[in-house]
Amino acid sequence: MKLFAKYNRINITVTIFTFVLGSVAFYFVLNYVLTRQLKETLRSEQFEIIHYVEQHNSLPEIQNTRHQWVTIEKSTAVLAKPRFNDINIYNEKEKETEPVEQLLFTVKVSGEYFLITVNKSKAETEDLLQLIILVTIGMIALILLLNFLINRNVIHRLWQPFYLSINRVKEYHLNNRQSLHLPKENTDEFNLLNESLNAMTQSIHQDYQALKAFTENASHEMQTPLAVIRSKTEMLLQQQNVSEEAMKQIMGIEEGIQKLSRLHQSLLLLTKIENTHFTFDEKVALGTLLLQKIEEKKELFESKHLTVIQDIQFITLPFHQQLAEILINNLLSNTIRYTPENGVVNIELDKEKLIVRNTATENSLDVEKIFQRFYKAQQNQEGTGLGLAIVKEIGKMAGFDVQYLFHNNYHIFTIYFKQ
Amino acid sequence: MKLLIVEDELALKESLIEYLSASGYLCESATDFNEAVEKIELFDYDCIVLDIMLPGGSGLQILQYLKDNKKTDGVIIVSAKNALEDKINGIALGADDYLTKPFHLSELSVRIAAIIRRKQFNGQSVLQYDFFSIDTIAKSVKVNNRLLDLTQKEYQLLLFFIINKNRVLSKNAIAQHLWGDDMDYADNYDFLYTHIKNLRKKIIAVGGDDCIKSMYREGYKMMLS
Repeated sequence: MKLFAKYNRINITVTIFTFVLGSVAFYFVLNYVLTRQLKETLRSEQFEIIHYVEQHNSLPEIQNTRHQWVTIEKSTAVLAKPRFNDINIYNEKEKETEPVEQLLFTVKVSGEYFLITVNKSKAETEDLLQLIILVTIGMIALILLLNFLINRNVIHRLWQPFYLSINRVKEYHLNNRQSLHLPKENTDEFNLLNESLNAMTQSIHQDYQALKAFTENASHEMQTPLAVIRSKTEMLLQQQNVSEEAMKQIMGIEEGIQKLSRLHQSLLLLTKIENTHFTFDEKVALGTLLLQKIEEKKELFESKHLTVIQDIQFITLPFHQQLAEILINNLLSNTIRYTPENGVVNIELDKEKLIVRNTATENSLDVEKIFQRFYKAQQNQEGTGLGLAIVKEIGKMAGFDVQYLFHNNYHIFTIYFKQ
Repeated sequence: MKLLIVEDELALKESLIEYLSASGYLCESATDFNEAVEKIELFDYDCIVLDIMLPGGSGLQILQYLKDNKKTDGVIIVSAKNALEDKINGIALGADDYLTKPFHLSELSVRIAAIIRRKQFNGQSVLQYDFFSIDTIAKSVKVNNRLLDLTQKEYQLLLFFIINKNRVLSKNAIAQHLWGDDMDYADNYDFLYTHIKNLRKKIIAVGGDDCIKSMYREGYKMMLS
């Protein structure tokens, strides 16, 4: 649930509760005031009658109206105090029962007692009360409606900066060359959020850059000593009468250099691919390139007696020439390295996908891990463990989908050009 | 043939000078940017072996200098950086070739020879080495005036041997020259032995000497006078 929906729920509950409570209280207060006013009217009528009787010693002629009338009857009993009475009377004209307030009192005229009843209809008061309640309820409804509309439109606008920031954070990748620059906002809270995010990504970005620079420099710095070692072993080979044993040792060193160097190059390449904004708008003749690379590696396929079955269309697609070469090289090298002797390699290319399929010795490779760096199905393998990671990374940068499948004892690598 | 070796790592520079001098080049060297610029100003070289990261400046600036001054010295960059754009920048600035460290001295030697061949080509494309005469344009080789029928790889292999004649070449260096950097089938050099065996047979068949000597199958050496 959204924060605002939560807040709104509480807010509306409290508002309705307050309004209901207020309305009930208002009703009673109003009722009390109006009834008191009514009784006041009845009393002043009583005083007028008593006053008249005292002055003239006779009963007054009273003009009755529809809403207020007086009845006079002879009485034997004497009321000690005037008494109010609340009754309902059926009104013949309007055909409805209406509440009536009565004031009963006795007066003595010429030694005779008369019971006088002053009646006043409460219909008007009730009508007024009803109207007031109606208006109040209308007000509540109006306020709630306005509240709802304002919230829906204004709140969305007020939160806009928040969602903007969140979207920017979502889209942010460390590989982007810039740290996150969120704009200054008028709202303090959002401003605080943006500033904090800016500061955080800034420092992460700097650390990341430093780390990358370190990786790159470390790899570079190691290449020169390797070059020294390699040149020295080559000079050693040139000495007169190198023994077979020495020759073998030197070759061992040579192979170590080779592996280390390739490892560095691959790591550097990976960092490079991740950190460089390559543009994939070169027209690359992938079919021609693929055939050329297969031809270059012909001896390598032959040396392991691999049968190569090709179905290659001469397609051209927007890509990056060098990255395309690296991609194909890695895929083919991988295939040559891991296909068992006398195995079958199947290479297909059309405008939608490139498929490289080869017979397997083992079961399926770990689909989750196969494109991870330094993943090797067996630890004693020759490769750097970076080849497929590079393939995946290049694919990712170019917007291709690189997939691995194990089917019918075949390892199948597929690159879908369009996603 | 005069070479300038611009390399700040002394041990490497030493090896370079030793190997290339033995190949018949006259080698001069510079260890930093200023020294390199000074020498380039004063002399013309057939080929400059140029490191990119130098004390006092970048090798790319030297390339720019050569370009600005219309110098025609051949340049091969040797750099620890394999960075894609460095390579492209270097070539764009007029370098003839690019080699990533760590490289084989034999490989460097072949590349330098190729650059010099291109620069000094005066209508004559036939090189004479002992009993081999090589037409580098037609990519054909004759032994005692008889044409040697070679595949592309065999031609490449022969040229590599001839340029590095009388040197022991490790099987690793040869394989890398022929199949590039991602050649890493350390346990399987059979295809290399096959190529060398075929090449030897072909040379003998046209009456050449059996000049390729195996060094315990770990390396090979072409003996030429």
